[in-house]
Amino acid sequence: MVAEKETLSLNKCPDKMPKRTKLLAQQPLPVHQPHSLVSEGFTVKAMMKNSVVRGPPTAGAFKERPTKPTAFRKFYERGDFPVALEHDSKGNKIAWKVEIEKLDYHHYLPLFFDGLCEMTFPYEFFARQGIHDMLEHGGNKILSVIPQLIIPMKNALNLRNRQVICVTLKVLQHLVVSAEMVGEALVPYYRQILPILNMFKNMNVNSGDGIDYSQQKRENVGDLIQETLAVLERYGGEDAFINIKYMVPTYESCLLN
Amino acid sequence: MASCDVKPKSVSHAKKWSEEIENLYRFQQAGYRDEAEYKQVKQVSMVDRWPETGYVKKLQRRDNTYYYYNKQRECDDKDVHKVKIYAY
Repeated sequence: MVAEKETLSLNKCPDKMPKRTKLLAQQPLPVHQPHSLVSEGFTVKAMMKNSVVRGPPTAGAFKERPTKPTAFRKFYERGDFPVALEHDSKGNKIAWKVEIEKLDYHHYLPLFFDGLCEMTFPYEFFARQGIHDMLEHGGNKILSVIPQLIIPMKNALNLRNRQVICVTLKVLQHLVVSAEMVGEALVPYYRQILPILNMFKNMNVNSGDGIDYSQQKRENVGDLIQETLAVLERYGGEDAFINIKYMVPTYESCLLN
Repeated sequence: MASCDVKPKSVSHAKKWSEEIENLYRFQQAGYRDEAEYKQVKQVSMVDRWPETGYVKKLQRRDNTYYYYNKQRECDDKDVHKVKIYAY
C-alpha cells in the first residue's frame, strides 16, 4: 500500500523526482571496508594505518636438515666392508668376514661412524651394529682413532633428526666406556659435540602423570642427553664437568653436590 | 677322528637361564650344537671368552665368517626355551 501511495504522489508532481533519488540514496549500501594489509615488520608498508605486521618467521633451529650421500653408503655398495648380514630368530646380526682384531681401525671405524647419518635399512643397521662390535672388541685401538670420529659424530648430530640423535647418543655412551682414557680424550672435542645436546636437552614430554613410552624404549631425546652428559662427566676426568657446563649451562653435575 | 662320530643321544629344551645356557645359546646362534661340536669342526682347543663374565666372545662359523658376542647376557628370557641341551 505504501508503495502505491508513493507512485501516485510521484505521478502527480514530477518536479519532486530529485527528492526521490535522495531518499533512495539514504538506504544502507554495502560499505567498502578497507581490508587489512599484512606486511613484514620494519618496512614502509608496516607504517601504514591499515597494515597488520606479521610475526617473525621461525628460525628453524629444530628443523631437520637434509641428508647428504654418505661415504659409508658408497663403500657399502661397492662391497668394501668385510661384513655380511645374517638373519636369525632374534633379529639381524653381522657376520664378519675377517676378525675384528685384524681390522685397520683408522680406516674402518671413522667410516662406520660416517654411517650414523643414515636412516634407512640396511645402511643404518650396518653402521650401528658395526660400530657396536668394533667398540666392544677394539680395546686399546680405539683411543688413537678418537680425533677422526668427531666430525662424523658432529655431522650426525647436526642433522637434528630424532632417530639419528638417539642412535648417536647411544654410540657416544658406548664409545666413552669402550676403553681406558677415551672419556678424557673426548674432553677437548666437547665444543664440536655438545652444542646440539644443549639445544635438545629440554626436548622432553610433560605428560603429567601419563606414561611416556619412549622412556622405556630409550628413545626420549631429553633423557638420553642427560644420561649421556652424566656418562661424559663420570668418565671425563676432573676437567669434564667445567667443560660440559661451558657448553651446556643448564647441566648440573651428577658427581658434585 | 673317533670324536667326530660322537652323536648326541638325547636333546631337551632349556627351562631356565644360566651361564651354561647362555653359552649354549651363543654356540647355537653360530650354527653348532655346543662347545664340543665347535671344537671338533674347527679343530681348536680353546674358545675365545670374555675374561670378566666367562661368556663366549667370538666364534667362527662354518662358512668361516665370525660372530662376535657381547660382554653381557644376550639370551633373553623369551629365548631361553629355544636353547637345546644335547646329552651324549
